[in-house]
Parts: sequence; C-alpha cells; structure tokens
Amino acid sequence: MKLIIGGYAQGKLKYAIEKYGLDLRLVWDGELPGDGEIRNAETEFVKERASDGNNINAKGVKMKNSIIAVNHFHNWIKRSLSEGGCPEEEISRFLDRYQSCIIISDEIGNGIIPVEKFEREYRERTGRILVKLAGQAEEVERVICGIGQKIK
Amino acid sequence: MMTLILGGSGSGKSAYAEDYAVSLSKGMKIYYLATMRAFGREAGQRIARHRTLRSGKGFLTIEQPAAIYKALERMETGEKTVLLECISNLAANEMFEGEMPKGEEAVFKEVANGIARLREEVTHLVVVSNNVFEDGITYDRETMAYIRAMGRINEKLSAMADEVVEVVVGIPLMVKDKKSESRKKRK
Repeated sequence: MKLIIGGYAQGKLKYAIEKYGLDLRLVWDGELPGDGEIRNAETEFVKERASDGNNINAKGVKMKNSIIAVNHFHNWIKRSLSEGGCPEEEISRFLDRYQSCIIISDEIGNGIIPVEKFEREYRERTGRILVKLAGQAEEVERVICGIGQKIK
Repeated sequence: MMTLILGGSGSGKSAYAEDYAVSLSKGMKIYYLATMRAFGREAGQRIARHRTLRSGKGFLTIEQPAAIYKALERMETGEKTVLLECISNLAANEMFEGEMPKGEEAVFKEVANGIARLREEVTHLVVVSNNVFEDGITYDRETMAYIRAMGRINEKLSAMADEVVEVVVGIPLMVKDKKSESRKKRK
C-alpha cells in the first residue's frame, strides 16, 4: 500500500494520477469499496480498455496495471465514526485484501483543537489511523503545492 | 542541547518525543513536565493514555501547568534529560487561566523566557509543540491572539533549539539539524 497525505487542495489526486497512472474508474471517493464493487469496476475497466484498443488513460499516462485507490480517505473515517463504526478495524480488513492499493488522505490535525467532542475525536482518530497506515505502507508521500515529497 | 518537536494532533509526536528523550538520557535522570490541567473526563482520559505510553520508560513526572521554570525547583541536581509536553497547553494555561485573558506579548514572553531558563539548567531539553496554524479558520479575537502567540513562541524556540523535528504521520522529518547548523557556523 502507498499512502499519500497533505493539506486540503494541495493537488494530491492529480499527483497520484500523474505519478501512478490511476484511472478514475478505479478511484473511490470518500468510501471503502466492497469486494463486489471492486470486481465490477475492474471487469468494466478491462473491457473498456480492450475496446479502446490502447492502454492510454485520460492523462496520457500508460497504464501498466489497474491500481485501486481511495481518495478523501479522511471523509470515509468521518462517516464511519458518525455511523458508530470502527474505521480502524474496517481499514485493516480492507488492506488485508487489497495490499497494493493507494490511500489518499487530507492531513486534518494541524489546527486549534475543536470545541465539539465529535470533531476532536475525528481528528485524533484520523491522525492515529494515518500513523498506523504510514507504518505499514511501502511508501509515504506528502504533497504540498502539487509537489510530492517522499517521506518514507 | 535542545530539541524542538512539532506535529499536529494525532501525528505521533508524543511517542516519538518520549522515545527520543529516553535515547538521549543514557542513565541520567529523566523528567517529564506535564502541562495539562486534569479538568473533566476527557482530559483525564488523555492524561491516562499518555501515562500508559510513558510507563516503563523511567520518567519522573512533574505537573507544571504554568510558570514552567518553577519545575526546576523540583528536580535533583546533576545531569538530567527533560521532556516538556506540550507548549500548546502551557501557552493556553498562561493565556486563559487568570480572571482576564493575558495578551499575546505577555504569553510569548512568559513561555519563551521559561523555556530559556530550563535550557540553561538541564543537559538535554526536549520540547513538544503543536502545529495549530493550518486549519484555515478565523476564530474569535482571543483565539487568534493565542495562535499568534504560539507562532512567535515556536519561532523563538526553533531559533534556540539545536535541532527541530516535525513529526508527520509518525515519521520524523528534520527541519533543523545539528550537523548542518555546525557546518553553517564553521563557514
């Protein structure tokens, strides 16, 4: 798994698309896809690619393989917490199955501690989940002003 | 020697700072200066979590939520490593605990001078501070004054420090390091 982090509106997704040749059909936005969803999207993707007759995606990057990515990962954590879920367990199960995915998340901990309890918990748990993912990741990149710095 | 460690909430800065302080201490006394007031259940839980993180690492805890230099009175003489956690609590206590909030300048001076005194007296000083600057929200006047005071304090501490480390998702990134500083001095 590769982890890409950075502040809001720093060009993380664009960076990932250009660097890893992500195809938006295999990028989930603020949600962790289930096995069925991933299978369907992959089948569609392979079919379309074959019918295109080339391996070029919209950005002109040559597609080597179909990488699964989750963008706005922090939004998924927030929703999971608000529904009383346990994002720590869910993401760990997801990564057991999809070890070569890319996770893209905002860094949200660099500010004043929020007054509302839920917001405080969301920040704290998102931070700790990202620390854990960074520990497992084969690579961690921090994107600022559209530029990626490899920090692990 | 002084090290400043920065990070956001949940960045892993505490765990890193503790391990780093322990690695510096090499058998000398190691003090933990705790700055959080234990008001309410959540503060209690946070303090308990930090205690668990520290347990078994040999820290002697001194509660010093304000006037940080006074912690020196409670330390034994001789070589010592001191970990102070964290500037954001200390500055908030200094600013908001009186009848009226103190001004930015007074808080800046109190904290910066206090840390300067600690730095003089101890062998290794490790200070943890918080990145409170990047949420893009405009708060009320007092909170904005607090953020500005924090900015000035961090700037001052990083100038005082021999090394500055930013912890991002648990990964330490060198902002200022001893080797490059001594190279600069030689030039």
